[in-house]
Amino acid sequence: MKKVACDERPGWRSYAESVGFEFHTFDGEPYWDETGYYQFNLRQIEQDLEEPTEELHQMALSLVEDVVRDEEKLQQLAIPEKFWDFVADSWRTKAPSLYGRLDLVYDGSGPAKLLELNYDTPTSLFETGFFQWVWLEDQLMRGKVPQGADQFNSLQDQLEAAFANLPLANPLYFASVANSIEDKGTVMYLMDIARQAGVDSRFIELEQLGEASGQLVDLEGYAIGGLFKLYPWEFMLQEDFASVILSSQTQWLEPGWKMLLSNKGILPLLWQKYRGHPNLLESHFEQPGQSFGAGWVRKPLFSREGANVELILPNGEKVTEPGPYADSPFIRQKLQPLPKFGDSYTMIGSWVVGNSAAGIGIREDNSLITKDSSRFLPHIILD
Amino acid sequence: MKQKVLKRSKKAALVLMVPTATFLMAGCGQEEAVQTAAFETVDQCAAYYNPEQCKADLGQALAMHAQVAPKYTDKAACETDFGVGQCETQAQAAAAAGTEQVPQQAQASSGGFFMPMMMGFLAGQMLNRSGSQLKQPVQAQPLYKSRDDRSTFRTATNTPVAKGVGTAYVKPSSVQPKPAGVVNRGGFGAQAQKRSSSASSFGG
Repeated sequence: MKKVACDERPGWRSYAESVGFEFHTFDGEPYWDETGYYQFNLRQIEQDLEEPTEELHQMALSLVEDVVRDEEKLQQLAIPEKFWDFVADSWRTKAPSLYGRLDLVYDGSGPAKLLELNYDTPTSLFETGFFQWVWLEDQLMRGKVPQGADQFNSLQDQLEAAFANLPLANPLYFASVANSIEDKGTVMYLMDIARQAGVDSRFIELEQLGEASGQLVDLEGYAIGGLFKLYPWEFMLQEDFASVILSSQTQWLEPGWKMLLSNKGILPLLWQKYRGHPNLLESHFEQPGQSFGAGWVRKPLFSREGANVELILPNGEKVTEPGPYADSPFIRQKLQPLPKFGDSYTMIGSWVVGNSAAGIGIREDNSLITKDSSRFLPHIILD
Repeated sequence: MKQKVLKRSKKAALVLMVPTATFLMAGCGQEEAVQTAAFETVDQCAAYYNPEQCKADLGQALAMHAQVAPKYTDKAACETDFGVGQCETQAQAAAAAGTEQVPQQAQASSGGFFMPMMMGFLAGQMLNRSGSQLKQPVQAQPLYKSRDDRSTFRTATNTPVAKGVGTAYVKPSSVQPKPAGVVNRGGFGAQAQKRSSSASSFGG
C-alpha cells in the first residue's frame, strides 16, 4: 500500500457537476481529491481487507440475535424499550438490508483494525461506486495509471443485484433531509441503481413524509410500502412520528435491526464476544467515574462523521472533534492511530452489500479524526 | 487463455443522474387498462377464479376498509352521500373485518367517525389472466356504492370500476388505494434541524 501522485483529469469538476456530484468541493476545500491515489497489491486487498470485512460482518450479525433477546444489552445500547419488539421483529422476520460500511485502520501490513460499523446511514457511496470507477477507466485510457490496474470496487454491480433480488416493496421511496445536497446526492445515486434494477424509485424529502390512519404516506396521500431513509434511526425514534414506525406497514431500509449495529455500543459487545480477535480493538462501555488514561478514544454511542470523538494520545495530548451528538452514553476504544502517508492520516471504508465485501473508499484528513470534510481519494490494485 | 477476474464492477452507468435521462424517461406510453373483477362474496368470485385467492382478496379488502373508506364526523353527512342505513362506525368496520362475507346491514352507533359500508371488493392483480407481470399492480380493495347510483361499484376515492358483479377493466393508477383522513406531515426531521449548525449530512 502506497500513495502515488497523479495528474488530475482536465475538466473533471464540470464532469462531476454534470452527473450530480455537486459536493466535490466543500467550503472551498477539496472533497474529491485526485491529485494522488493509493495503490494496493491483490494480497492486501483479498487477505487483509476483503476477507476480514466479511468475517467482521458475520461477527456483527451474530450479535444481533444476542442483543434482541437480552434486555441488559438493549439498555446498554440505549434502545428505547418501546422499540424493542420492533427491532426484534425486524430481525426475526429477516427484514432485508441493503448495505453497510466498516471503517478500518490499515497501513498495508498486519491485520486491519475495525474502528466502527456504519450500518444505518453509510455515505460516500457515489464517490466509491461510481466516481472512482470512472476515474480509473479515464486514467487507464489516458495512460496515467499502469495498464492492468484494477480496483476493489464491485459496489454498483452488487447494489444493482441487491435491488433486483431482495424482496423489496415496489414502488420504493427514498428520503433524505431537505437541505443536505450531500445526502440527496447519495440517495439519487441509489435511486438510479434501483431504477436500473427495475425498481420504481421515488424521492420524497424526509420532512414531507405524511401520516394518515397510522400509515406513512407520500405527498399525494398514498401509503408508502417501502422507504429507504438516509436518516439515523436514533433520531427517528425521538421524533413526532416515532409511533408511526410502530403502526405503519412500511418496509424500512435499512431495517430496524440495523440500529443495533450502527450503535458504537456494538464495539464493546464485539470485544466481549470475540476478545482478542486480530481485527478488533479492545473496547468497553464507559462507567461513571472510570479512568482510562492515555491511549484511548472516547466515542458517543450515537455519532456520525467523527463528531464528538475524543482521542487521548499516549503522551496525554487530546485531539477532539466537536459535534451535536454529546447527548448519549460513551464507549472507550483502544487507540489505534491512523497511518500517515505524507501529511495525511488515511482511513479505509470497506463496503458490504448483503453479506459480501463490495469494495473500498479511502478518506484522508490532516488530523487523526476522519470527518465529514475529509478528502476522498481513489485507489488501484496492481500486482 | 484464462480470463482475469476483476475486482471492480463490470459497468457503472447512470440513467437518472445524467441530464439526457429526462428525455429518455419522458416517453412513457399511455397506461393500458387491465382486467380485474368486482364481487360481493367469495362464492361469486370463486365462479371466476381460484377460491383461495378470492378469500385472500376479500380479507385484504376488509382489512383495508377502515383505512381507506371516506370518513365523516356525522352520520347524516355520510348518509347524504351513501344512503340511509348505509354508514357505519370505524369500530363496526373493524369488528366486521374478521368475517368472510361483506358485512350487510349494520346499525351505526355513536362515537368515532362514520364511513360507508363496504359493498364489495375489487379482485387483485393475481386474477389478471394476461400472465404478464404488471408494472403497477391492481391491489385487492373494498368497493362502495353511492346513494344515487346503487348499481355501480366505486373505489374509496370515488372512481367507478364496475356496473355490477363481474369482470371490469381498470387503469391501475386510477385504483391505487389511499389512506383516507387527515394527513399529518413534518413528523420526521426535527433532530436534523436541532443539530444542523454543525452537520451538513446525516449519513456518515
